[in-house]
This record gives sequence, structure tokens and C-alpha cells, in this order.
Amino acid sequence: MHWPDLSMGGYGFYVWGSYLFTLIVIVWEVVSLRQRKKVLLKREERSPAMRPTVLRGSTNETTS
Amino acid sequence: MNLYKYASPTMFYPLAGKLIPWFAVPAALLFAAGMYVGFFIAPTDFQQGDAYRIIFIHVPAAWMGMFLYVLMAIYAGIGWAFNARLSSMMASAIAITGAMFTLVSLVTGAFWGKPTWGTWWVWDARMTSTLILLFLYAGFISLQAAIDDPRRADRAGAVLALVGVINVPIIYFSVQWWNTLHQGATIRILGKPTIAAPMLAAMLIMLAACWLYSVAVVLSRLRCIILEREQNAARFAEVNA
Repeated sequence: MHWPDLSMGGYGFYVWGSYLFTLIVIVWEVVSLRQRKKVLLKREERSPAMRPTVLRGSTNETTS
Repeated sequence: MNLYKYASPTMFYPLAGKLIPWFAVPAALLFAAGMYVGFFIAPTDFQQGDAYRIIFIHVPAAWMGMFLYVLMAIYAGIGWAFNARLSSMMASAIAITGAMFTLVSLVTGAFWGKPTWGTWWVWDARMTSTLILLFLYAGFISLQAAIDDPRRADRAGAVLALVGVINVPIIYFSVQWWNTLHQGATIRILGKPTIAAPMLAAMLIMLAACWLYSVAVVLSRLRCIILEREQNAARFAEVNA
């Protein structure tokens, strides 16, 4: 194993810029998905009367 | 066990939840492994120096952008043809992730083009067709967002997605069909790859990581879409009771 040269032979800005951009995109996607889910589950709590079937936990199995 | 029951969104919801960690955890491990092989084992390129290391994210991201588009179009088409709700929801869940990978491929390509070609962007066949791919994703997402009735939105999206599929082979073969600045294929379906083994290994590991990551986030978004539609349907039923 050799420790890579962090300056990437002068290309550091481009190489790390690419990976940093990718990381930002991934973090944004994961965080926004969490947020979306949180909002939905909160909406559930506020009005359990219209609790959709997906959250009732029933396994309405019709066939075996 | 009847597998067909999972075609119902309400049955698929808990299954998707159980599946997510089985994709998310290996994705994280493979990303780490791919970066390790790409930066610690793969040698410096004799022509491009270390700038080439952008390839480990650029190529997998570009592939994912194309694969996911085709997958999205297939799901949208099945949802449309067979009136399968879950399939249409899957298409909507894929769109954002596909668009993001396409964006990553364009941005990392710019980061690679600047030091090697001397420019961030050229209106080259491959880059232009990839930009069109991003616009197709954006069109699909905004078209669906603009239509209130989810089933009508699914059908409209399916038409757009299926028409746009023609762009994918154009991207793929653009480097052969047009005289272009972009380099040719590194991996060939037939014949040997034109790349050193550790470089190839890093790229393939990153590709596998991108696939697993995509499955995890798409399933997670699919769960949100199922929940949203269920909630909206419940509210609609309540108002009209």
C-alpha cells in the first residue's frame, strides 16, 4: 500500500472537487429522503383517523 | 407464499422497509472498498497523472444515469400498459436518483475535462446527449409534479419516459458515430478492456456500490410515495364521505 499524494500531482482541486460534489449529492439525497419520511409520519400522528392501510400493520393475507 | 401479493403497494411497503438495510450497508462498504482500491492500489496513469482517478466515480455515475433511465422507462411502461400502480410508483421513485447520477457524471466530467482538455464543457455529441438525458429526467419529474391525479401523472410520465429512451443508445454510441473529444469506451462488451486491472477493479466496485445505493434510496423513496398516495386517497375518501 502506498499513501496517495493528496495534491494528486497538481490535480487535487479537480479530483477532490469531483468526489466532494458526489458526496454532497449523496448526503443531500439521503437527508431529503429522511425529511420527507419524517413529514409523512408526523402527518400520520396528527390525524390517525385516516391512517392508511400500510401503517396498520395488518397482513391481510388472502392466499397462502 | 404468493409473490404476486407484493404487487400491491400496501403489501410491498413493509417488505421494502425490511430490504433497505440489506442494500444500504453493503453499498457503504463497497464505496469504501472502491475508494481504497482506486486511491491506494491503482497506479498513477502515465498520460493523465492522477487526474484520471475521477474515472472511478465519473464512469459508474454515467452508467447509472443511463441504466436507471431505461429501468424507469420499463417500469413506467409496465405501469401504463398493465395499469400496475406499484410499477408506476417505482418509475417515479427512480427518476430523482437517475437524474442525480446524470448530474454527477456531467459535473465530474467537467472536473476531468478542465485539466485534460482545457475546458469545462464542449458541445460534444456525448456530453450534449447526456445533458439531454438530464433534461428528460427533469421533464419527467416536473410533468408528474404538475398533474394532480396520480394515475394521469403516471400515464403522462410513461409516454415521456418511453419516447426519451431513444436517447440512451445515442449516448452510448455517440463516441463511435460522431467525431468527438470524449474518449472511447474503456470497457468493451466484446474483447479486452483497455485499462489496468486495479483501475478496472476500482471502477467495477464503485459501480456495484452505486447500484446497491440506488436500490436502497429508490426503495426508501418508493415507501414515501406509497405513503403519500395512501394518505391523499384517505383524505379524499374522508372529504367525500
